Order: sequence, then C-alpha cells, then structure tokens
Amino acid sequence: MTTTAVDTRTNTLKRGMTTAALLGTVLGAGFFAGLSAASAQTITVWSGYPEMAPFYEHVAEGLKATHPDLNVKVEAIALREHEKRIALGLTSGSAGPLVIELAGSTASRYIENELLPAAPDDISAFVKDPANFGEFFVDAVSHDGTVYGMPLFRGQGSLFYNTDMFAAAGLTEPPKTMEEYTEYAQKLTQRDANGNPTVSGWSMRLSGGGQGIAEKFWVNLFQYGGNVLVQTADGKWKADYANEAGRKALKQYLDNVFVAKTVTPEMPADAEAFERGQTAMFIRESWVIGDIAAKAPDLHYATAPLPTGSIALPTNLYVSAEGDDAKAAWDFAQATNSPENLVWLLENVGWLPNRSGVDYSVVTDKVPAFGAFVDYPEGYGFFTLPAIGPIEEVLTRLAAQLTSAFGNASLAGDDAAIDAYLKAAADETNQILAREDLLGQ
Amino acid sequence: MLKRKRWIFAMLAILPTLAIFAYVRMYPIADTLRLSLHKWDILSKKKPFIGLANFQELMGDRLFQEALLNTTIIAFGVLIITIPLAMVIAALIFHRTRSRFAGFYETSVFIPHVVSLVPAAMAWKWIFDARLGPLNAFLGLFGIQPQAWLFDPVLSVVCVIVLCSWQALGYAVLIYIVGFKSLPVSLYEAAKLDGASGPQSFWYLSIPMLKPITLYVSVVTLVSGFNVYAQAFVLASDAQGAPGRQVRVLVLDMLENSFRNYRVGYAASEAVVLLAIVLVLTLVQFTLLRERGARS
Repeated sequence: MTTTAVDTRTNTLKRGMTTAALLGTVLGAGFFAGLSAASAQTITVWSGYPEMAPFYEHVAEGLKATHPDLNVKVEAIALREHEKRIALGLTSGSAGPLVIELAGSTASRYIENELLPAAPDDISAFVKDPANFGEFFVDAVSHDGTVYGMPLFRGQGSLFYNTDMFAAAGLTEPPKTMEEYTEYAQKLTQRDANGNPTVSGWSMRLSGGGQGIAEKFWVNLFQYGGNVLVQTADGKWKADYANEAGRKALKQYLDNVFVAKTVTPEMPADAEAFERGQTAMFIRESWVIGDIAAKAPDLHYATAPLPTGSIALPTNLYVSAEGDDAKAAWDFAQATNSPENLVWLLENVGWLPNRSGVDYSVVTDKVPAFGAFVDYPEGYGFFTLPAIGPIEEVLTRLAAQLTSAFGNASLAGDDAAIDAYLKAAADETNQILAREDLLGQ
Repeated sequence: MLKRKRWIFAMLAILPTLAIFAYVRMYPIADTLRLSLHKWDILSKKKPFIGLANFQELMGDRLFQEALLNTTIIAFGVLIITIPLAMVIAALIFHRTRSRFAGFYETSVFIPHVVSLVPAAMAWKWIFDARLGPLNAFLGLFGIQPQAWLFDPVLSVVCVIVLCSWQALGYAVLIYIVGFKSLPVSLYEAAKLDGASGPQSFWYLSIPMLKPITLYVSVVTLVSGFNVYAQAFVLASDAQGAPGRQVRVLVLDMLENSFRNYRVGYAASEAVVLLAIVLVLTLVQFTLLRERGARS
C-alpha cells in the first residue's frame, strides 16, 4: 500500500466523519428546535378589520416580555368573510386557540349556543370595574349578567368634510341640521359642462352589498328621530321606520340622487373618494382619520358631530380556547386594553378605544379630527344594534330594499310612494321578527 | 364459479371508489335534502323538523325570487352567447389549422378559462366602470352617453353574462375543435363535389354532426351558469369606494342565508330548488338533442 493510497483512505474517512458530524448536528438542532416549538404556545387572532392587524401585532410584540414563548398569529380579513369564518370555525371546533374580534350584537348567538366561554374571574372583575368601562360597554360584552368578552373599540360616526372645498363654496362651518346637509351638498357639488356631477357634494352609501347600507340609513334616520328597530314594552322589538322620520330620511337620499343630483350611485364613494378629493363630505367612523393619515396626509379636512347623535357599535374580543391556551388568550385580550396599547390604537389605527380613565389627550390634542368623536354636545344621543339573533337578516334585507329604492327615480318627490315602500320594508322586518318570536306589540 | 369470483373481485375493487364517491358526492346531497326540512341556525345543537315550511317561505321570498330570476337569465344568457359563438370560433380556428398562428388562436381563446377568476373579474370591473372604464370611453367615441354598467338593474346582469361568457367560451371552443377534428373529411369532400359552399357545409353538416358535442357543452355551460357566484360577487362586492349593484344570484343568496342570517335549513331548501332546476334542464337538453340527433 502506498502512502498516497493511505492518505486517500484517511481523507475519505475524515470526510465521512465530518459529514456524519454535520448530519448529526443538523438532526440534533432539528430535534431540539422541534422540542422548543412544541413547548411554545400559539394563539390566533381573528379580526374583521384588516387595518387592525398592525395593532394586534404591536400588542403581541409587547406581550413577549411576560410571555416569551407565546406565538401570536394575526389573521385580519374583510368583515363579511370574517363573519363566515367564525360561523364555520367555531362550530367545527377545528380552529385552535382563538381570540375573536366580534360585535356584541353578533356574539350573542354564539354565547347562547355555548360556543364562547365566559370570561375568567379576573377578566370579569377588570371589565366590571366602573373605572375601566362604562355600563354601555359592560352590557355589550355581557349575557345575563355574565361577562364573556373584553371591550376594545367602537364604531362611531361623525361628519368628515373637505375644508378646501367648503372654503371654495363659501361655507365657513359644518352643517348642523339634516336640511343643511342637503343645502351644503348642493353648494359643494362640482359639475361638468353638461351639469353632471364630477365631485359629489355628499357621498351617501347607495350601493354595494351587505348590511352597511342599512346601518348608514339608520344613522341618517336617527337624526330625524327614527330607528330601524325599537324595543317594545314587552322586551321584544318592532320596525320603527315606516313613519315620518323614515320618510324624511329616505326622501333626503332620493332628493340628493334624483332632484338635486349631488351624488349618483356610480360615483366613487366613501373614504376612498374623500381621500381622492372626489367627494366634499361624508359620514363615517373614526378609523378614517388613520386611513387619511396613511393614504392622503396632505388632505385638508375637519370633522363635526352629527346633528343629534350617532351609532356606537362596540367591538369586543372573545376567546375560544381551553386550559393554558385560554389563559394566554385572555392575557392577550387584556393586554390590548393597556393604556399604552390603547393610545397606540387611537394614534395609528383611529378606532375609538372603549376604556375610560386613559389619557388620550396626547393623540386628540395632536389630531383635532378626533374632537368630533370625543367632544360632542350635551344631549348627543347614541344607538347600537340590538343583540338579537336576526339582526343581520333584518339589516341585510332592509339594505336590499334601500338599494332598490335608491335606483327608483319614480319615488323621488312622491311621499305616498315612499310611505308605501317603507311600509313594505317594515312589514318584511316585522315578519322576520315574528318568525323568531321577537315581534313586540 | 370463476365468473362469480371475478364478479366479487370486481365489486371489491370498485368498492373503495364507490364508498368515496358516496361519501363526498351522495352524502352531501342527501344531507342537504334532509336539512331543507329542518330549521337550523348552524350554531345550535337543535334542528327541529319543520316539514316543507322552508319551501313554503321560499315561494313568497322576494329576494329568492329575484335571485332565481337573475340566475336563470344569466345561465341562459351565457348559454345563448357561448354555444353559437364557440361553434363559429372553433370552425374558424379548425379551418385555419394549418396556419402557423393556429396555436396562438387556440391559446388566446382558451386563456380566459384558466385565468384566475378574481383578478379577471376585477379587470372587468374596471372595464365596466362608469367614469373611468374604457367601455364608456369607447362608446363615447360614437356619441353614446356613459352607462352605469354596474348599477343599473338590467345592465349589471348583462355585465355578469358578459364576464361569464368570456370565461366559458374558451372551454367550449376547445371541445368544439376536438369535435371538428373527429368529423369525417369524406363527407365535406362529397358536399364540396355537390357544390356546397363553406357556410352550407357548416350549417348542414357540421352543426348536425356536432350535436353530441353541443349537448355536452350546453349541459356544462348551463350548469355552471346556474352556479354563478364569484363573478357577481366581485363585480359588485361591497368594497368601500367601489360602487356596484349587487346582482343577487342563487348561490350568493344561499351563502347569505347560511352564514349571515344563520338559516342553514332555509339555504338548504334553496339548494334543493337549484338542484331540481338543473336536473330538469339537463334532462330536457338530453331529450331534445338526443331525439333530434337520432332523427337526423
């Protein structure tokens, strides 16, 4: 055997040992990584508002100090898809430990069917502490006096208006009555040479799908003293919009679309249109402030309270988990309500936190647009969606009726036709309530 | 004895496939039929039997009627546009088979069928946009006033038909091209000798001989037309700032009843009605085309 042959064999042996050592290291690392992963906890946050994802990620980041092994996955999708996901995920029980963002009015169904557990005692005590939450928000997360969730934020409407367009139209202050809304809309509408509107004076929700159309109508209806649903003395509900308030609200939509032509269904609408200067004013929740800051920071705008009051739609966090996972999930839910996180939410997302006793002035002083949402006149009223099973069906069907009405020129200026239309819609609402044994006398 | 063993072996061999088919195909249909007779909110453990109450309610349901009408119009609209157009395009492509562009023609017609639906529908949404869409800009060249394509109750249905036809066309053309390739050349040669022109050969030879293909394509197109959902949803979804009139179709109505209104039993009764309609129409198509095909 020559020296070269021995060297070659030695080298081969060394290479083999090196390879084996490397393989062993990789396998060992994989094994320990697997063990480590197995010991880490994972909870998933389901949100129906994509703009909330950075907030939950921020909360998760902050929680690492006390929960280094907690892995938080944030899955934020469009609201209507989110609702379907909850319906399927909770009933199949296959979604794993969850923190679920849900409106109190929708959560009641799940609570009644024992698909969402009650909050543990410490969370319940935190929520019930009057220093933390007002009665309205405690009620919104409670069922038969038991707390099931953690209040987080609310949707509350105000007027957003473009101050440059107001100045150009000679308007120095926001409208104060609903009649003024139409007058302002006429002055603010910009038209082409043929008289067709190119910039809407007042962007109203006229099209699309889902219950949003009915909710926006309810906001306008509320200004006239009406409600889509009212509770009766027997604790049940009935439609309350086939009346003068309903006629005024629907007539205002029709007048703006067909008579004054300050807006048309096919015009760009909502926050996107406002940010692009395609509408002069519209009514929306506070999240638009954060959206404008991100997408149209140079837009000159202001906000104002609505004439008589607003919707206040609380959104809460619920937990679907057991044992240690449930503990981690509730810890996460509580962490969302730390003063630091709530100020971050207001400043970076714009949804209004529900917790009281927190100093938000650092944000509200810096962003005057929040003023209309927190400094409203005395006697300013609020309404919310009733926590009854068929609320989504009532609103979705009303929305379908309204969309049809907004496209029906023959209704404009015809009070009798408007009344008949509203009566048919209200009858349908009452039929749904009757079917569910919820129709009041 | 051997025959019997073979038969048992064949049955055993086919059993797993049959079991899977029964579980994933037949069981859901049977369960939908069962659910349609119950009241169930998807969350509750209780599913009270209510007989035909769901079907009775359907008969007076304004939204269901609207959905049924829209779906029927869309399904037949797509059928009426797709079948003749696909046959003509396939004939033209087949006629140009030897062209060096033949592959390009086939691919360009088939691409819409394989393109992902949502981005395609978004593109069509832009095309139909009343203010910024190229369709209104094009019509404007001829002095036609801009149309609210996605909001007008009639035009919005037309938009869905156009989108569905655009998608269905590629598949239909492909199947027709295969059909054309299988037709005997000798018949066309004989017709040519008898003095038949190209269009006459197409009318009197191709169309009758392609009846089995037409049967298959029309059944597939009609069934998929009745299942229209995503096209209507994307064209007029409730995306904020993107106006559009929601064209209510049956599948959309079912989803809304199931997961927004929590009425799964009611949605199941809609599914049963849809199943019945599709079955009846398919039977009618088979009967018409087979009988006439046999006579011809």
